[in-house]
Amino acid sequence: MSESLTIAVLVTGPAYGSQDALSAYHYVKSAVALGHTIQRVFFYNDGVLNGSTLTSPAADEFDLYNAWLVLAREHLFPLDICSGAALRRGIIDQNEADRIGKSQFNLELPFQLTGLGQLAASIVTADRVIQF
Amino acid sequence: MLRAAFVTRQVPHGTSLARETQDAILATSALTEALSVFFIGDGVYQLVSQQKPQAIACRDFAPTFAMFELYDIENIYVCADSLLERGISDVDLVIDVERLTQPEINQRIRQHAIILNF
Repeated sequence: MSESLTIAVLVTGPAYGSQDALSAYHYVKSAVALGHTIQRVFFYNDGVLNGSTLTSPAADEFDLYNAWLVLAREHLFPLDICSGAALRRGIIDQNEADRIGKSQFNLELPFQLTGLGQLAASIVTADRVIQF
Repeated sequence: MLRAAFVTRQVPHGTSLARETQDAILATSALTEALSVFFIGDGVYQLVSQQKPQAIACRDFAPTFAMFELYDIENIYVCADSLLERGISDVDLVIDVERLTQPEINQRIRQHAIILNF
């Protein structure tokens, strides 16, 4: 097998409505199968919509939200959601909901709110940053 | 080799991508000075001065490009061909940027280990 790489993945497309996030998922699945390490998947711009636990696809359709969960738990990489991009789009965890005074939240582990510093860290340290 | 090239091609308003790209560039500049920014295609509109997006309830983020100097982001390039095609070669830009032709831009971009397109 060729050299094992540390790869960060940047997702800027939503969970449904464009192919971006699905392509990212298939890429990550293939990369780990080939022995590469996923440093993190960083969700930015409309990509943060992947983090909503309320996403409810039709019963006979692919459940991308659940697929991210399974893959991240199996291969132990973080699902980082940019908090600034997320809050503007109504993606919010319990801590932020309490802080801002919202009665609901829709983001749960293993998805987690982080900052752009995590993306920056990947840009500086990863062997590859792959964008979808 | 330089670390990261941010290529920004989107109009400043109409989608949030240009503004969020600016945020990502500023965040990355905290960790490395080996980064460059390329304004290409419709991305050149982001640099036009005297914009008034408040009229459409959008934040005027163009003045924030002045922060690039403060954050030691020195490699900032705009595509002269893109400016010309849009008839805005002579308008004032919000910051000093180096004007390069498209072939020159392509050659510079290739000097980066990681290329991010927005």
